[in-house]
Amino acid sequence: MSSTSQHLLLSPAELAYLHGSLSLITPGPIRPDGRSPTQFRPLTAETGILPGTNGSARICFADGTEAVVGVKAEVEKTPVPPYEFVASTEGRKGHSSAPKKSSRKSKKTTTEDEEISMDVDEDDEEAAGVNEKARVSPDWVELSVEIPGLRDDDSGTVFLTSMLTEALLADGEFVKKLWINRRFHWKLYLDIILISPPLSYPLPLLSLTTHLALLATRLPRLKSEADEDPMFDDDWAAATFLYPRQDTTSAKASNKSPKQPSAAAAAAPASRPPITLLVMAVGDNIIFDPSKEELAVADSAVAVSVAEGPSSETEPESESIPATSTKRNLHLLSVRTIDPPSRLTPPGVPNSVNAAAWGTMTAATPTTTTAATAPANESGAAKHPDARVTETEDVVGVWKAPRGGAKFGMLGAMVAKVLERGGVAEEVLDGLEGVDLT
Amino acid sequence: MPITILQPSLAPPAKLRDADSDSDSEGGADLEGDIAMGRPAKRARTQDSSIMTPGEIITDDPQWMRGHGTYVIPGASSNTILSSVAGTLAKTNKLLSVRPLRARYTPEIGDLVVGRIVEVQAKRWRVDVGGTLLAQLPLSAINLPGGIQRRRTETDELQIRTFFSEGELLVAEVQQLYNDGAAVLHTRSLKYGKLRNGVFMSVTGTGGGGGVVRARRQAFTLDISGTDEVSGSEKIDVLLGVNGYIWISKHIEGEGAAAETSGPGITRIEESVGLNVYSSQNDIIPVDTMREIARVRGVVTALVENGLRVDEEMVTKGYAEAVEMAKEERDSADTLWLGGERGKRLANALVGR
Repeated sequence: MSSTSQHLLLSPAELAYLHGSLSLITPGPIRPDGRSPTQFRPLTAETGILPGTNGSARICFADGTEAVVGVKAEVEKTPVPPYEFVASTEGRKGHSSAPKKSSRKSKKTTTEDEEISMDVDEDDEEAAGVNEKARVSPDWVELSVEIPGLRDDDSGTVFLTSMLTEALLADGEFVKKLWINRRFHWKLYLDIILISPPLSYPLPLLSLTTHLALLATRLPRLKSEADEDPMFDDDWAAATFLYPRQDTTSAKASNKSPKQPSAAAAAAPASRPPITLLVMAVGDNIIFDPSKEELAVADSAVAVSVAEGPSSETEPESESIPATSTKRNLHLLSVRTIDPPSRLTPPGVPNSVNAAAWGTMTAATPTTTTAATAPANESGAAKHPDARVTETEDVVGVWKAPRGGAKFGMLGAMVAKVLERGGVAEEVLDGLEGVDLT
Repeated sequence: MPITILQPSLAPPAKLRDADSDSDSEGGADLEGDIAMGRPAKRARTQDSSIMTPGEIITDDPQWMRGHGTYVIPGASSNTILSSVAGTLAKTNKLLSVRPLRARYTPEIGDLVVGRIVEVQAKRWRVDVGGTLLAQLPLSAINLPGGIQRRRTETDELQIRTFFSEGELLVAEVQQLYNDGAAVLHTRSLKYGKLRNGVFMSVTGTGGGGGVVRARRQAFTLDISGTDEVSGSEKIDVLLGVNGYIWISKHIEGEGAAAETSGPGITRIEESVGLNVYSSQNDIIPVDTMREIARVRGVVTALVENGLRVDEEMVTKGYAEAVEMAKEERDSADTLWLGGERGKRLANALVGR
């Protein structure tokens, strides 16, 4: 767990106001910028901005934060242990016992990289060569995050990197796409760079940009067959997308219609790269895409990674809420709690114990807990009997850093809100699909 | 509709600027006139809308004088004037200056500023006012609680954090300037002091039209539109710091910077100092007021995003316009949101485009 950002100075009065307006129940939270609780900041997105990469994207939030992601691929030799090589050439099912065992394990904990590496459902696939596909490794993806003003080994950067990597590798589907043949695979380098200073916690921005870059990633078409040394088509126009798409012109229409285009899309139903959304809770309100000020008063913050998989796939996690939508088959990859910076904020001083604010108390009378004993004249308030009460109890209008972690019910509600049909994750995926890929 | 994804807008086609060809034959101040002189095809106008970048050569004609935002290479014999900031070129007779697009605040005596305490020292605070240097607020320049004008004592020094501590916001006036441009603030008026009951926002930009401008009144009170209930009596204080820091809060009678006349005069200051001047406890704020505060904040954001100046007139007009817009589309839920397209509409309505 890592703190979300460098310390943001806010006065206790500001924090109390923000917390008060965000935790309103009757008209819903009033966000300082007027957004609705599920509304994202408008963003500008484009792809294919870096000609030297296999896929790239740039996203710019309206508040000025901007990220660029470049995906580069190179062919790498897969190290083959000799006994496995023999086994796999002689009998196709030679080494199937080992991955099977570990795939069981990974169903319980998808967060551990090593266990994911072997996560493959052999029963689902029947074609020859599937067992070789099982020998995938999370090392095939290398992800680096660069945040200006932060060191590479800063805990915040490392945490961001690991969260994004985890989302990519969690279901093991992604690395399977990098398999060329038994002896070779693609190695993918993802360079994620935040161009602007981190004005808000950059996780959603980086995740969305990575998603777009991966959608735009193309790999040269393979000309060679089977286990030969790979030969590729020189024609970049013939390169295939890493995430094959349904007919791009009628993507929206084919999504709704149950029948799918019979070509390559039918073999691999629309699966999409994962997205990681930042969700925070204030009081009973769930708020998406928090700005820096909002995050500074969060009771709890959670990063939820969601991927869209082929519709036939079963739910990999027990606690996930299956989105049984005909439109998109979302599944939960990981949930990470994020330490909101609100815990480090200084508490406000109630008037009753504020030595510099004595005098006649006006509107700021203490809460019901202390109202009974609060005298009208507060002079000499430092020695007031309420002093101790106000240290431990909440006083209306006085900021106090939240204590304790996220409540279970709230965590579940946040995840459900992401995954629900027609919910935020679906809308975001829809929106990102509309981006022109070049 | 939780997410809006826009196509990147194309940059306006780069204009070939040929500043060298501002030939001396024109003589007068109006070089922009561009009346069929010589080779018109090659001559691109040096428009005010075109942006100079740092290090860009503005001209090497010796007839020009250099002003703010420009420099000459020392030692070089040529008369080349280069831009030192990114901004728009302004010409006043023969004086060339570049107005920066975004600049840090340059304090001037008498400015009303909103600042944030970043450091507490033994006898003074260091205050972030958005300038190049931190401003300072000496302990002797605040109203000490206790009801009477008095000397500061060691006790006051010891409990300096009970007045202002790190992170707290205050409104103050620039009292004095040092040679290096650092400002000394004071809060010796009931108009000034600690801020509460509201939200903070900061806007940048001095050139190009956007940003807070120095005006007759930097602090004013808005009547909020009580949409449904009897909240007509509620008011909002808007405090436009000259430094681009803005505070929008609930109005409290007799308090705050906008209450210049309603508060007690300087002669009666001793009667009321210390009431709530150093309080960091918020009052109970009605939901309507909170909503309207967010709306005013949205209006200011929209003004800045669309390159309009931020002053009393624009904010008041913009707020009225935003209320109208919200009334028109009462059915849709996100009437408070004033970003993107809605902000553009608001700005267009304001300038009558």
